[in-house]
Amino acid sequence: MNALGGIMRGGAGGRALFLRRNGPIIMVYAFILLLVVIGATQSERFLTERNLANVARQSAFLGIVALGQMLVILTAGIDLSVGSLVKVSILVSAIVMNGESANVVPAILAALALGVLVGLIHGFLINELRIAPFIVTLASLVILKGIGLTISSSPVGKASREVMMFYVQKVGPLPVIALMFFVLVILTMLLLRYTVFGKHLVAVGGNVEVAHLSGVPVKRTRYGVYVICSLTAAVTGLLWLSRMGVGDPAIGDGIELQTITAVIIGGTSLFGGRASVLGTLGGVLLLGITANLLVMLGVSQFIQGLIQGVIIVAAVALYKQEGD
Amino acid sequence: MSKPILEMRGISKSFAGVQALKNVSFRCQAGLVYGLVGENGAGKSTLMKILAGVYKADAGDIIYKGMPRLSASTGEIIASGISIIYQELALVPQMSVAENIFLGREPRTSMGLLDLGRLYARSDELLSRLGVALDTRSLVSQLTIAQQQLVEIAKALSQDADLIVMDEPSAILAGSELDQLFDIIAALKAQGVTIIYISHRLEEVFRIADEVTVLKDGEVVDSRPIGQLNRHTLVRLMVGRSLDEIFPQTDHEQGDLALIADDIATDTILDGVSLRLHAGEILGIAGMVGSGRTELARALFGADPLTRGEVRLAGATPQWKTPSQAIRAGVALVPEDRKSQGLFTALSVRINVTIPILSRLSRLGIVRRQTEEQVVEDARQRLSIVMTSPEQETQYLSGGNQQKVVLAKWLETAPAVIILDEPTRGVDVGAKFEIYKLMRQLNDRGIAIIMISSELPEVIGMSDRILVMNDGRVAGELLRENADEERIIELATLGGAEAQSA
Repeated sequence: MNALGGIMRGGAGGRALFLRRNGPIIMVYAFILLLVVIGATQSERFLTERNLANVARQSAFLGIVALGQMLVILTAGIDLSVGSLVKVSILVSAIVMNGESANVVPAILAALALGVLVGLIHGFLINELRIAPFIVTLASLVILKGIGLTISSSPVGKASREVMMFYVQKVGPLPVIALMFFVLVILTMLLLRYTVFGKHLVAVGGNVEVAHLSGVPVKRTRYGVYVICSLTAAVTGLLWLSRMGVGDPAIGDGIELQTITAVIIGGTSLFGGRASVLGTLGGVLLLGITANLLVMLGVSQFIQGLIQGVIIVAAVALYKQEGD
Repeated sequence: MSKPILEMRGISKSFAGVQALKNVSFRCQAGLVYGLVGENGAGKSTLMKILAGVYKADAGDIIYKGMPRLSASTGEIIASGISIIYQELALVPQMSVAENIFLGREPRTSMGLLDLGRLYARSDELLSRLGVALDTRSLVSQLTIAQQQLVEIAKALSQDADLIVMDEPSAILAGSELDQLFDIIAALKAQGVTIIYISHRLEEVFRIADEVTVLKDGEVVDSRPIGQLNRHTLVRLMVGRSLDEIFPQTDHEQGDLALIADDIATDTILDGVSLRLHAGEILGIAGMVGSGRTELARALFGADPLTRGEVRLAGATPQWKTPSQAIRAGVALVPEDRKSQGLFTALSVRINVTIPILSRLSRLGIVRRQTEEQVVEDARQRLSIVMTSPEQETQYLSGGNQQKVVLAKWLETAPAVIILDEPTRGVDVGAKFEIYKLMRQLNDRGIAIIMISSELPEVIGMSDRILVMNDGRVAGELLRENADEERIIELATLGGAEAQSA
């Protein structure tokens, strides 16, 4: 009986609800702690400021896109194109910048415009032609990758000196790029908790028909979220330019799956309507620390992939138990 | 009196300290139909889930065909001949009728391969036992809900069920479909099958039950042969309130014109409907399912685009093409299907109540959280919504409380016009009364209401005027004074031609 179900769940106290909602997050952070302990005991270099700064910076590269991906997944969508977009973004910005300080702003604007354009196209195809997000962004993954490799199959363009310096800049011990990610994490939290747009994302993912009948501007919300997600990819392309110094066409591949992995590990539902920023942050850190640790311990790249796969299955299997 | 086929004695069950069932006893004779009625939360479903082996009772005995069955598993219960048909049908849409009936128990050849010949032959045989013509090869996804329910019944028969529990089967049916269900129940009864029929709708219980058991707050209030009951006494047993109070009357004045629709049509069934709605009035919309009632509601609200005609508020030009524009103009729609259209079931009460008015609760796109919390708290008090916290997911509320959440959401938009599509479907008598009372209060505040309902007593009891729809058009308009069930049914089935002569 519904009413009893309510009493049962409610009666078991807020604690049960808290655990059900936050179980995944708690587990992710417990796992991170475990990795840190392993790292600290197994390698002298792991807990050094230099290495932690590295981990933070690398996590930011994945994390910024993961935030965009999480928002899309929150609306019961998905964006498979982010990796390819990072690739096109680094190539276009490197070519526009061409090593000149004067071209930094045009290069940044070009990358951002690219992100907005791709996001709008995704929104259009999903909203107006009613094509499933998976299909739309799968096509876009292939197309953007093709565009990227058509632009150049070898490194092109060049970052300006300031842009290259940006990668190593720090505020105290913290790399600026990591700080940037941290600020975006906070902003995303505020977005979901306090803004109308954030609530509309939840509503569209919760039940699109109910949202429509409740007056939620479903189309506008979708346009918005796909533009935001593409922007995170465009920005990440710029960060990669800062790191590589050139437009390297090898950059970007696989980012879509890594971000989806981080989001899922963080307990966000692939069916939409529920997302956790802290969980996604945890997922990103977990992947970042695992990769870092495996390199330190001299484990091969291929084994790394295998371990990531195991983490995904283990995480999702654990949540399932928790949920029931 | 012969020996009962089923006897449940002194069943008690509590969940997390809440007593759901107290010393409940219930017995069935073979081949009779038992009505099990009571409000939401009365314990009907819990009792049946204990019978099914889904829950274990804390105390009591279950004897079925002379065997103790209290600690049997769900599989053993099904094997012993008890089948339960839940409201949410459990069929695989992409599979055929026959495949669904024998899902998991497919007949096999001696080679171990699927015996398709026998599969279809036995399915045909089962459906003919029900007196139903249905192609056992068609996919379940192509069937109507009513036909899907028949497949569930056939599935129960395929398991040699001699006791079938139907949990609110009528909630998803209407009109002729219901008659067909009753015919089937009668046929099953004639074959010696015992039926336990759970329902909110008392008319149905009177039509088919031989004996009625009333549960209230986890206890059996009374158990009587149907002959010793009338509607009046049954309602009083269920809610402790008399029938006269069910439809609260007020002597309100009909106000000015509020909403005007002229010759509206959509590319669904709707084909040229005009109506006038006044402030403080309840306009009832009756008609068969599929007559365009729901489509009318959606068209008035801007949820489906109009292909001709126009809808506007009286004295104003603003038109709306989308629900969000309609909401801003002061129109609200409480949709028919709460779970798929009215409520975010997996989300909190808070977001459910505030979603249409977020822009009002926010400045520069930022929601003022305190105001938001105040709104939810006000709604909880005003509509006496029972919930553990604003963060509770609405799927864990009872049907009545879910409906109150949907109503609360729309009242927050301060509408001038509210369209209610089946406002009391799936809610118990007590909550129904509260919803009726609320509608009257809204009337008194000058709000105009359009109420679509399949329940004729409700339409007649609540409406000031009644529009009867048939085939996408208005077949006739009746004033409350000269409306009765026969007249409405006549219009709904025959269409408008005869309406003019009356």
